Amino acid sequence: MSNPVLQLKNIHKAFGGVTAIENFSLDLHSGEVVALVGDNGAGKSTLIKMISGVHPPTSGEILLDGQPASFADASVARERGIEVVYQDLALADQQPVYMNLFLGREPVKGPLRLLDRNRMIAETEALVKELDVRIPSSRATIRDLSGGQRQGVAIARATHWAKKLILLDEPTAALGVAETGRVEATISGLKARNLAILIISHSLDQVFRLSDRICVLRRGVQIGIRETAKTDKNEIVSMITGVGQ
Amino acid sequence: MLSTLTSRTGLQGLIVYAGFVLIFLFFAATLGSESFLTTKNLANIVLQTAPATVMAVGLVFVLSAGEIDLSFGAIVALAALVAAIAMRNQPMIVGVLAGLGSGAAAGAVNGLLVAYGRLPSFLVTLATMGVIAGIGRSISDLQSIPVISPGFISFFGGGSLAGIPSLIIWTLAAIAFGHLVYRQTRFGAHVLAVGDNPRAALVSGIKVARIRLSVLILSGACAGLAGLLYAGRLQSARYTLGESDLMTVIAAVIVGGTALNGGKGTIFGALVGSLMMGMLNNGLILMGLSVSYQMIIKGLIVLVAVAISLRDPNR
Amino acid sequence: MTIRFKSKLASTLSVLALMSLPLAAETTGPGGEAATPTSAVTIDDAQAAELQTKGLKAALLWHDQSDFVNAVTAGATDELTRLGIKVVATTSAGFDSAKQMSDIETALALSPNIILSLPLDPVASAAAFAKAKEAGVKLVFLSNLPQGYKQPDDYAAIVTDDLFQMGKHAADALATSMGGKGTVGWIFHDAAYYVTNQRDQAFKTTIENDYPHMKIVAEAGISDPARAEDIANAMLLKNPDLGGIYVTWAGPAEGVLAALRANGNTTTKIVTLDLSEPIALDMVKGGNVTAIVADEAYELGRAMADTGARAILGVENPPFIVAPAVTVTKENVAEAWQQSLHRDAPQTVLDAAK
Repeated sequence: MSNPVLQLKNIHKAFGGVTAIENFSLDLHSGEVVALVGDNGAGKSTLIKMISGVHPPTSGEILLDGQPASFADASVARERGIEVVYQDLALADQQPVYMNLFLGREPVKGPLRLLDRNRMIAETEALVKELDVRIPSSRATIRDLSGGQRQGVAIARATHWAKKLILLDEPTAALGVAETGRVEATISGLKARNLAILIISHSLDQVFRLSDRICVLRRGVQIGIRETAKTDKNEIVSMITGVGQ
Repeated sequence: MLSTLTSRTGLQGLIVYAGFVLIFLFFAATLGSESFLTTKNLANIVLQTAPATVMAVGLVFVLSAGEIDLSFGAIVALAALVAAIAMRNQPMIVGVLAGLGSGAAAGAVNGLLVAYGRLPSFLVTLATMGVIAGIGRSISDLQSIPVISPGFISFFGGGSLAGIPSLIIWTLAAIAFGHLVYRQTRFGAHVLAVGDNPRAALVSGIKVARIRLSVLILSGACAGLAGLLYAGRLQSARYTLGESDLMTVIAAVIVGGTALNGGKGTIFGALVGSLMMGMLNNGLILMGLSVSYQMIIKGLIVLVAVAISLRDPNR
Repeated sequence: MTIRFKSKLASTLSVLALMSLPLAAETTGPGGEAATPTSAVTIDDAQAAELQTKGLKAALLWHDQSDFVNAVTAGATDELTRLGIKVVATTSAGFDSAKQMSDIETALALSPNIILSLPLDPVASAAAFAKAKEAGVKLVFLSNLPQGYKQPDDYAAIVTDDLFQMGKHAADALATSMGGKGTVGWIFHDAAYYVTNQRDQAFKTTIENDYPHMKIVAEAGISDPARAEDIANAMLLKNPDLGGIYVTWAGPAEGVLAALRANGNTTTKIVTLDLSEPIALDMVKGGNVTAIVADEAYELGRAMADTGARAILGVENPPFIVAPAVTVTKENVAEAWQQSLHRDAPQTVLDAAK
């Protein structure tokens, strides 16, 4: 296997003396989907925030392409090629799809540095076509889209900008069956782009459908990592709950 | 279904223009060419609304960013007074810079308190409205301050360039500049994003606090320019200037299609809204109605217009 | 009450902010002109007939809306109607000089022959009325004058309240009820407002000059009407046997009345200015209030209309015209209310007066 894109080594995180994560280690390789599972409060969100640069770890190391990475804030992590699809999607509802795709990174042209709308629209249309996100138009307003379409836009945005890693936080929590299927298809398609993907999900069915490996957290403690093909739901459930081990 | 929704959104944006045309036609039909439709009267409407339109441009940015500015009326008076006082013994340019500068500075105080003090803009500007109005009263000692610089009076008030009154040029300049910044720059896009979803803007790397600061400074500067226009037009400055514009301008901007809670707006709509308010004022006076009825009818029309503008087609 | 008073106050009062005259013994005009009573400014039937043929138009461009403005408007409108002059526009600037300028411009689209107006602010209104002046409109000003305007070329005349007489009437009324002797408390408006300052001073001057057996033993300034009760309490504490109290206007007088009632005081007389229902009610019920002095706002409006009409006819106008003051007592409340506001007194007051 190739060198890991992201390495987390003995990560420890405490908030004011209360330990949130202890001794967490994980390697992520490009073209790989790793699922992070655990009950509410297990520390999944804290972990995502550390990787995306929102919180620094209390101790331990984060390596990006083998280089120590210290992200001053979320924008530094983003510049280094890490994108997050937040649970709330972080879309501006009243803006068109193409503006959301380029939110905060709008291309400009000319001496007056005016927005290059044509370029944004063209790139958006190419991307949604490529990812098969079915939206009426790149000029459509987000609030006019269905939940699945919005999720598709959020994933497309992350895909467009991610150079190394995409973090997906509960990508289908709010969706119906059919829409979940579509979003899962989109995520599966991302593997071909040679990105590392870390997905948080409550749905074990989904985890088994999408992931290559499963990492289980319980109350801030890393219980273990399993290859998806070599484990089953019962084992994962008992790891999550701590019952039956 | 999606297409009907989007087309309804589009139609809704046109309502202010339709309302404007309807009201215009109504006055044209009832008052005719003797008073309302004269070139002079129509020009008057545009001239009279020039300061309000300039204020409206600033307010579109503030509302679009999800903030509110209640202090711009007070800033109008402050800027006019500061400019008039400065020009007592300084050249015109000093007065202009002092007026605009005091407007922007007042806006910056609002902005710093909102963006970095993390206080709600409604409360901040409600408070600074009183403070700024008090400063205006105090520096003028409740007196009118005459403006005698003929250059200033011509440039901001009664003068004209190539036959076009300077107040119309200022209106057009404010609208063109406002529209360009609002629609065609990253700043404008970021203002909308911050007003639409501040968290999304933040995680997208937009400097949310800086945007909030900037829109309030911009609003202060626009109010400052409006103050100069009033000072030029009235050839004097007084602490009461701009006081009564607060509600008119907010109504004009909302009627024009700018969302009260951010993320959506238009500069052209604000212009049309402002002209509509001016036209209502004008037409209702020309109809010979008593003051109380003018107020009632104007209020009802604004209510209807705002209700239509605010009705969310998706809900 | 307070608000109503204030707007009226500011109306009449912005008056001589420009004039910055010393407080005179008689009400005088901005250029020191002697006052002419409104009764001297009239239009006879022959003149009225001539005016009726002309198809004239008038615009009433007020500074604000208030009881006072309504009464002036009523007086002016009734008289203009008699003269066949059509009121084509009525506006209120809400104390905003920019709005007043817009109102003038708008009204000019209707080509009025006469404008009746209270110029909000001498400096700004000089520019605001310039277009009307140039258009040859006959301008009749209420209380205030645009800077640099000359009578009769630029404007027909100024019409205003007789402020000195209002204060003097108050002193006379209080003296009558006190039998011309005793101690007096003087509650004046502690702010640089021409209208109240003139009236307050006129009261004081009259007591001092005309009533040797009356003495002002307590003085208190008031800037916030809400504090009137406290001020009156303090005054009564130091001077429990006060014969009478003058209160600068009806709003604070209500507070003073409350203080007297709370102290069980039924002997101290109150005199105040401007009509107010609760004050009038106490007066007609035989309470502490002995008289209210009001202005003849309706008559003032009538005189404004005639001043403009005379200017149209080329009849010379006196430069400075004052409307008389009227003393309202229990005996004349029904007539006096009519005389001041050309309106029936509130029913409660009329009923209690029976």
